[in-house]
Amino acid sequence: MYVIETTKLTKSYGTARGIVDVDMTVLEGEIYGFIGPNGAGKSTTIRTLLGLIHPTSGSATVFGKDITRFGPEIRQEVGYLPSEVFYYDDMRAIDLLKYSVSFYAKDGKAAEKRIRDLAEVFDLDLKKKIDDMSYGNKKKVGIIQGLAHQPRLIILDEPTGGLDPLIQQQFFHLLKEENVKGATILFSSHILGEVQRLCDRVAIIKDGSIIKVEQIKTLLENQTKRFKLELAGPPDPARFTIDGVSDLAVTNHSVSFLYRGHINAVTHLLSGLDLVDLLVEEPDLEEIFLHYYRKDAP
Amino acid sequence: MNIFLRELRANRRSTITWTVSLSTIVVVFMGLYPAFSADVDTTRELLAQFPEALRTALNLSLDNFFTIQGFFGYLLGFAVLAGGIQAMNLGTGIIAKEVSGKTADFLLSKPVTRSTVVTAKLAAALTILVITNVAFALVSYLAARAMASEPFSARTFLLLASTLFLVQLFFLALGSLFAVLLPKVKSVVSVSLPTVFAFYIVAAVGDVVANEDVRYITPFKFFESDYIIANNSLEGSSLALLAGFVVVAIAASYVIYNRKDVRAAA
Repeated sequence: MYVIETTKLTKSYGTARGIVDVDMTVLEGEIYGFIGPNGAGKSTTIRTLLGLIHPTSGSATVFGKDITRFGPEIRQEVGYLPSEVFYYDDMRAIDLLKYSVSFYAKDGKAAEKRIRDLAEVFDLDLKKKIDDMSYGNKKKVGIIQGLAHQPRLIILDEPTGGLDPLIQQQFFHLLKEENVKGATILFSSHILGEVQRLCDRVAIIKDGSIIKVEQIKTLLENQTKRFKLELAGPPDPARFTIDGVSDLAVTNHSVSFLYRGHINAVTHLLSGLDLVDLLVEEPDLEEIFLHYYRKDAP
Repeated sequence: MNIFLRELRANRRSTITWTVSLSTIVVVFMGLYPAFSADVDTTRELLAQFPEALRTALNLSLDNFFTIQGFFGYLLGFAVLAGGIQAMNLGTGIIAKEVSGKTADFLLSKPVTRSTVVTAKLAAALTILVITNVAFALVSYLAARAMASEPFSARTFLLLASTLFLVQLFFLALGSLFAVLLPKVKSVVSVSLPTVFAFYIVAAVGDVVANEDVRYITPFKFFESDYIIANNSLEGSSLALLAGFVVVAIAASYVIYNRKDVRAAA
């Protein structure tokens, strides 16, 4: 059964593009990554699924129910964490969280216990006013708010901004736990590394359209790295034109290129060079899109 | 129910402030009544010397001013102006604050319909207005009883007091309509004050130029104290007009709010 299924889902804001003909299926129990640069349409898709915005055309179901007709019913079983959390100024964390769980037709006692447990995990002072909290702590309130009612579907829209690495690790651990317990997760991000760590499958969205859905395994096999070299002497550009190299730039003694393929081929190439310095880094998403996921690419 | 209670709690302080302020004003003004009524003839002569245009602009009616009801009716004009601001603040704020405070994502991703949200919020606003009005009417009545030199009709008095509530209904409905129509309300007061004062000025100008038709445009002319005192009832046509406007504005608020896209807060 599909937990989320969209069919030609389209949203435009007046003449501005939102998303165009998005077809997406998320299976029960999977962690589905949703990746693309800022403004690609990740949030638009997610907000449409949540009923915050209304589709222009196309349709979508969550738990097999149409999003435009069964919004409240669907949201009973959904936990949502937006990229930036905003809450009521006058509330303490515990007030907000109790208010939050009061919306769900679920055991309030169990939810409250879960709030306390999660607060302990994240070392969060529930008695503090949310307004006085740091950005990271507000985010923790957001995480607890999204998970306290034990939803069957967890939707996270770029959730990691503002979380320090340790908390992020706890958060991911928690998500995996929820997933093992049966929750389906839709996780949007513009950071490839995050999605690689967490997800089973990933949809790549650009300019409002999904351009590829891949298993994370495939994505890892096709891992792309950016190489930056400083050489002792002027390099010969022809030497770098092996399979998998793209975006080659040679200036003076510096060489920069993207490489996708077996890493040994590059190390072999490099071993023959007189290097002054070498930098290998994860390319940012924009670069990957630019070179491998162009719309016109085969 | 949770949204309703949450709104009552969130508006607790402002409700107390408005209720206490309105009640205090009425007590202080009613306290002046004996000073005016003690020497009716002298005061009447003095006021009669005012140019007539000024008297109309000040809304002074020499026939009624010296009775306790007429005096109350006069000061009621100011209470209604203040109350209009309270109601408009409430109507605009209670609905718009989720978007302006960026909490719409939180609230509307909960398992509630948009209509439930509007209903809960308007019910809370209405409850707040009822609380304010019950306190205001009670305090006014007791103050009038304490100050009046002769007996007066409680019915007429309460009809007068009820105009505060009726005009507030108008501004509550208008406020909620503004809240759903404007893309983003940065400051509630910057919307409510100009609107309420615009209606008030239209009413005042209408008085001065003696235009009868303004009473179909501005709620401040819907219910005239002199009419209520003379007829011991409210103007039926105004009641119908008010009811019509409130129903249309509230219905439109529901429809628009349901269709609204909640864009990402950024």
